[in-house]
Amino acid sequence: MVTTSTPPGVSRVDLARLTEHWAESRSLRGWFSTVDHKRIGRRYLVTAGVFFVLAGLSALAMRTQLARPEAGLLSPEEYNQLFTMHGTAMIFLFATPMLFGFGNYLVPLMIGARDMAFPRLNAFGYWVFLFAGLFMWASLPFGAAPNNGWFAYAPLSSEQHNPGLHMDVYALGLLFLGISTTAASINFIVTALKLRAPGMSLNRVPLFVWAIVATAFMVIFALPALNLDNAMLFLDRRFDTHFFDPSAGGNVLLWQHLFWIFGHPDVYIIVMPGLGIVSAVLPAFTRRGVVGYPLIVLSIVAIAIISFGVWVHHMFATGLPQLSYSFFSAASTIITIPSGLQIFAWLATMLLGRLVIRVPLLFVVGFIVTFVLGGVTGTMFALTAFDQQVTDTYFVVAHFHYVLIGGAVFPMLAGIYYWLPKITGRMYHEGLGRWAFWLVFAGMHITFFPMHLYGLFGMPRRVYTYASEPGWGGWNLVSTIGSYVLALGLLLVLVGVVHAVRRGRPAPPDPWRADTLEWATTSPPEPYNFPVLPRVHSLHPVWDERTAESTGEGATVDRILSEGRNTLLTSELDARVERPVPMPESTLKPLMLAAALLVLFAALLVAWYPVAAVAAVVVAATIAVWLWPAGPSRTSGVATP
Amino acid sequence: MTTTPPGPRARLTGGVLLWYGVLGGGVAWAVHVLAAWGLDELACAAGSDRVLAMPLGRVVGLAVIVPALVTAGSLAVAALAWRRTARAQATGTQDRAYGRSRMLAVVGVWVNLLFLTIIVLGGVAVLVLPPCQL
Amino acid sequence: MTDRGGIMAATGAEALSTELPAGRSTGWWGMVMFVATEATLFACLLGSYFYLRFQYGPQWPPGAIGAPELLKPLIMTAVLLPSSLPMVWAEHGSRHGRRWQLRCGLGATMVLGLTFLTLQATEYAEKLRHFTLTTDVYGSLFYLITGFHGLHVLVGLTMIGWLLAAALSGATIDAHRRERVRNTAIYWHFVDAVWVAILFTIYLSPRL
Repeated sequence: MVTTSTPPGVSRVDLARLTEHWAESRSLRGWFSTVDHKRIGRRYLVTAGVFFVLAGLSALAMRTQLARPEAGLLSPEEYNQLFTMHGTAMIFLFATPMLFGFGNYLVPLMIGARDMAFPRLNAFGYWVFLFAGLFMWASLPFGAAPNNGWFAYAPLSSEQHNPGLHMDVYALGLLFLGISTTAASINFIVTALKLRAPGMSLNRVPLFVWAIVATAFMVIFALPALNLDNAMLFLDRRFDTHFFDPSAGGNVLLWQHLFWIFGHPDVYIIVMPGLGIVSAVLPAFTRRGVVGYPLIVLSIVAIAIISFGVWVHHMFATGLPQLSYSFFSAASTIITIPSGLQIFAWLATMLLGRLVIRVPLLFVVGFIVTFVLGGVTGTMFALTAFDQQVTDTYFVVAHFHYVLIGGAVFPMLAGIYYWLPKITGRMYHEGLGRWAFWLVFAGMHITFFPMHLYGLFGMPRRVYTYASEPGWGGWNLVSTIGSYVLALGLLLVLVGVVHAVRRGRPAPPDPWRADTLEWATTSPPEPYNFPVLPRVHSLHPVWDERTAESTGEGATVDRILSEGRNTLLTSELDARVERPVPMPESTLKPLMLAAALLVLFAALLVAWYPVAAVAAVVVAATIAVWLWPAGPSRTSGVATP
Repeated sequence: MTTTPPGPRARLTGGVLLWYGVLGGGVAWAVHVLAAWGLDELACAAGSDRVLAMPLGRVVGLAVIVPALVTAGSLAVAALAWRRTARAQATGTQDRAYGRSRMLAVVGVWVNLLFLTIIVLGGVAVLVLPPCQL
Repeated sequence: MTDRGGIMAATGAEALSTELPAGRSTGWWGMVMFVATEATLFACLLGSYFYLRFQYGPQWPPGAIGAPELLKPLIMTAVLLPSSLPMVWAEHGSRHGRRWQLRCGLGATMVLGLTFLTLQATEYAEKLRHFTLTTDVYGSLFYLITGFHGLHVLVGLTMIGWLLAAALSGATIDAHRRERVRNTAIYWHFVDAVWVAILFTIYLSPRL
């Protein structure tokens, strides 16, 4: 309905003013100083994609090594670093940032806002993520990458058993990254609470936004445990404290408790936004809303809370009292109910709707199949006896790859195809996308299904090679072949994206006739997102006549706000209009602060403490300048002409 | 519902009550897990089966019953809010706050049922298992 | 109105649909979320203390360290806890545009906070002669917990110093500034509250 040249409901003068206030310079400086959530979101997606490729190549190297018994392609030391970096990068540098990239790009668009609540903090979060990722990956060429597995159990991670920089890189890298994740989470919560378009009360918030906000809440309450754990590990290794040292009163299980207090919510931190993507994609391809909106909200809320009470199920093999296990068993069993609820809601949606088979829907179907299989093996672990039998075998590896590839990667791929027209303004090639889907789907199952088998046959995880006697060689070869098929499929996804950007035909504002607000603006959106901030009248604003009218003839001045760089503040629960708020202009301070932090962490790593002290002072000074109470500058015009 | 509009006190209480109905069970369950697990594991590790002169089993039992009652209360409030807002909507009031509070009440009812189930399952374990059996 | 009527009114559809919370600013929410994540961090830290303590065995603190002295920490508590009051007063002043009240309140909080840090420094000087960060797990916990809290006091004081500098420079108190005073106050109250938890954990609980 909305076309690029003449959006209804807003005059040319207003449009020119909006452009003047919101456009950012295309210079190099503009590139470094941007605070536009769309540019930052795109960067998150691309950067996380690069880390995904690196972690994926690590996995390919390992699968090549394991293709046959007693191969000598990789040394044990190299293998340890590769599997640790693979896991750590996939979890921390790919999954969460990729999904936060979607969130960054889409949340303000879906709720009808012009940016995130704290745009400069948003830019800062991106730079920290980029630097922390480079910090960790840079250790690999030096042979100093983390080598303890992604959960870094003490005492193997202590200085005594694991000398060198390996685990210092891990501890410091994750602490550094934690700053970014926390900042982004706070930003998501505040944005979704305060910046929703007028009329978007809580019962009209898109499910994707619910999922991102629930994820952000989980990060707020889960990440401190990991940060504390890593701080203690670093202190133990570097400054001879004794938190994990039993000979001086410490306890190695403390690491595990703190790690899994974070780690289990983290599984949902990764999967939840993926489920949100599925709920966002389905309505467009079933031509109806997702069945049982309140029940899906319920499921999101319930999972976000219960996921904090299941951590001990990772530790059923550590010898604690049976009764204390049972509280966690109860929670681990019940948490399957809200997860199952969502699956049934999606199945019902597909059953009751009219299916439009396009690539995003194919990936959603692939997600359901794979994720349910992962869920089935997951419920098996809730039985303490079974868990003790298969713990640390390839059965566990198979399980969590089904959950994470099923629950996060398939939805991400669905999301990439679904939102590519919005983000790039170009359509992708449907045939290429279908080939990619079938290769990814087949490759995934060929790789990971046999792992269930040789896991049950007793093959332990994290061994760099194995003898030929147990007869695991054949199935391992199948897994390796599968991993190459999977890689080929993912390569085709990349080819598809590049092809779309280069050769794709221009995308209309709403190619899918979808229901949420990001489709109510141009593809790609203007820097100010919406010429008129919509007034929302239902859960499916784009399918709703009255909402569409609110940006057309019904547009009012208080929702155009063209006299400055403004967006609208609304109330927390019912989204009643409160007041317009000025938004900050582009600035280099976030980049400077992140760079100072990088110097601080690098100096800590190589034990140049005087440099670290100077860097800490620079960090404090940068924050001080950033927050200098000079009062808001509301002078007209943009910083860069 | 054609009574006079509620005063600021009643509004504050009502707003808090709704949140108790939505999140009360979740908070109670979190307290239950931390208390029951913490007491059991730490007391057993210290080699004692008494906490503050009470048998460990009874203390853990308390850490089940009290949160279960709080959750039941939360469930009742959520159910009440559900009925009241549904009735208010049925009379044709178009205020979108009713739609919002009704959805939160629906979420509260189901979420509290889930939490009540978890707490009761934990209670069954307390009855069946001796507190420090490895 | 009778009690019964009060309950009836409070459980009516209209009262239950009251929008709560409402009207907060983005800065307020940002600070509250930040404090929430920080509070979780301290909860994990104190939880780790109790975990290690109870796993350790009957004698705590281990070895020859002995239960901590109480006099100085109680004085420190008496200094830090009341420092929230001038902060509340200063915030009140900023809301009514009374610059002198803002300046005095911030100044008083600043003095009390600095006194606290000085006392902590003398306490450290005393303790370091008996045990250090590396003596055993108790030493590690003691210095990590109190040191981390001390760092928070320092950060809080820096924020207050910043507000004080702005208040003394004579700029008018606009909405933007008022919000900063309020956010700093939230942070400062949080730092105070954490100290109470630390007092109980580190100083009082070994004597129970």
